[in-house]
Amino acid sequence: MAAKAGGPMQKGVGKLPDRALFLFSLLIYAFLYAPILVLMFFSFNSSKSTQSWTGFSTEWYRALLTDQTIHDAFRTSMIVGVTATLIATAIGTLTALALTRHNFRGQTFADSTIYAATVMPEIVVGVSLLVFFVAVFLPLGVELGIVTIVIAHVAFTVSFVTIVVRARLAGMDESLEEAAQDLGAGPVTTFVRVTLPLILPGVMAGALLAFTLSFDDFVITFFVSGVGSSTLPLKIYSMIKFGVTPVINALSTVVLVVTMILIFGGSRLLSRREGA
Amino acid sequence: MKERPTAQKPREGDQDSRREVAVALTGITKRFGEFAVVDDLNLEIWEGEFFSLLGPSGCGKTTTLRMIAGFENPTEGVISVAGEPVRGVPPYRRPVNTVFQSYAIFPHLNVFDNVAFGLRRARVPKDEIQRRVVEACEMVQLTGFEKRRSAQLSGGQQQRVALARALINRPKVLLLDEPLGALDLKLRKELQLELRNLQHEVGITFVYVTHDQEEALTMSDRIAVMNEGKVQQIADPSTLYELPKNHFVANFIGQINLFSGELESVDGGRVTLRSGEGIKIEALVRNGDTPEIGEQVQAAVRPEKIRFGETGENVCSVGVRQIVYLGVSTQYITEFADGTRLVLYQQNAHDSVGPEVGEQVNVSWDANHCLILGG
Repeated sequence: MAAKAGGPMQKGVGKLPDRALFLFSLLIYAFLYAPILVLMFFSFNSSKSTQSWTGFSTEWYRALLTDQTIHDAFRTSMIVGVTATLIATAIGTLTALALTRHNFRGQTFADSTIYAATVMPEIVVGVSLLVFFVAVFLPLGVELGIVTIVIAHVAFTVSFVTIVVRARLAGMDESLEEAAQDLGAGPVTTFVRVTLPLILPGVMAGALLAFTLSFDDFVITFFVSGVGSSTLPLKIYSMIKFGVTPVINALSTVVLVVTMILIFGGSRLLSRREGA
Repeated sequence: MKERPTAQKPREGDQDSRREVAVALTGITKRFGEFAVVDDLNLEIWEGEFFSLLGPSGCGKTTTLRMIAGFENPTEGVISVAGEPVRGVPPYRRPVNTVFQSYAIFPHLNVFDNVAFGLRRARVPKDEIQRRVVEACEMVQLTGFEKRRSAQLSGGQQQRVALARALINRPKVLLLDEPLGALDLKLRKELQLELRNLQHEVGITFVYVTHDQEEALTMSDRIAVMNEGKVQQIADPSTLYELPKNHFVANFIGQINLFSGELESVDGGRVTLRSGEGIKIEALVRNGDTPEIGEQVQAAVRPEKIRFGETGENVCSVGVRQIVYLGVSTQYITEFADGTRLVLYQQNAHDSVGPEVGEQVNVSWDANHCLILGG
């Protein structure tokens, strides 16, 4: 915008501020990504040191593959992530539909509480879920473990899915659904044939976001996981207690790469235009 | 015998008893909260007719259409389609189809799948769908576009897809909600005639919503003029134009000159009215109206019925204030001595030279072309 206003005549004048701005941006990027790059860099270090470089090696990644406890944590993370994502996406999509396509009592309240849920301090959510599970689930015979982790993850990801799907629904012409009904499609057929295909990019983006949040979550999971089951972030945390090793670097790199891929996928889906 | 809708001419009444009713609205009222968008509406739309709902925005015409389609439920009253009451019948079970204002072409489907949508819902066999879609595309001149998506179509083409998609289901009634509103003028004129021809060809009842009076006059067999949720007049285009029932209809359809005044004499269908200073007007009374001497009324005359000279029953002297050249005709804006405006049109057919601005001239019109309006 600002560059356009200047035009070719002003190129010389704008040069110094432009360079300063570029440098500043670069510094911000370094601030954001340098620690991560250092972490990734040392995950390929051949020595056990995380401070001095001694040579390239994939030793720590091999260590990852052979450590059974890491395997288990990864498996738990995947099971929790996939299950919680499926449930949260279904509930979140239906919630978004209810909020955009219907008028009901308490709609404004429902609306604001869903937004509030996304900024709720995780520590509060974690503690309250723990208290809830202990008070309600334990007497029913449900121990803290993978089940409570899944429930907790559904609880905190569902509002994110709702918000993402809702944005997509808001941009959709309602007369498309009316047209489907007009042409003989009942409510279910209308949803399957018209609404769902049109909001699918939003639903997928919501699902990817939910999976990413679930896969990365530490605080809430920490409270509700109980003893036996541990997800990858919990595993990394427990390993750190015994000192920082390059294995942690390698593991963190893996988590980071998975997350990045999901986020990029999600943003690509969201930017996809209707009918494309 | 069915109750006659507010027919203007006895001829229409005769037609009415012979024709089947495609859509009947009886005592329809639609309220959103306290506000009545449609207020005690009574309509009978005949089979095979091109019927328009005409009115300014907010007059309730689209709401009426949506109630026939089933997207809104009337607060009071009964809607019947093909003789069957449709209260509580969802849109997907009504024998009507709609062409939406926004076209509502499914963006994730190509033209073929859009047009085939209704037939697939009705579980029509595959080869028949194939045949009928090809036919429908041919009918609206979209052959060769079957594989395109809506994003690759122009506005006019999308409009045709919407039309084919609705007509292919052979509905009892086709509802059209300002389908030409988004198109440019030239294309709109073209499609108006095309739509009209198409309607004749398929013989399906069309209910057409528009705010464009010219469009309604061009296309319709009959028009219901609506304002503030109420029907003002239902008639064929020429009756609406020549014999408007009230001030609103007279003003909404075309241009009109109005004179307010007191009735001086009543002689059957002929009356005399005294308006303003020294303007005495002979006028016609509509069938059925019975005004009385001394009553305050309005007389209306169309600008093109007024001519220069003294050859009609009503002769006045006016001053020419402004002349607007319109191509096919010229518009003269004139004033009486008391400042009352009178607009007249003259065809530009001959080399005749009209008066200049500032000139004082005599104008005249026949009593037959001057109508006393109802309240």
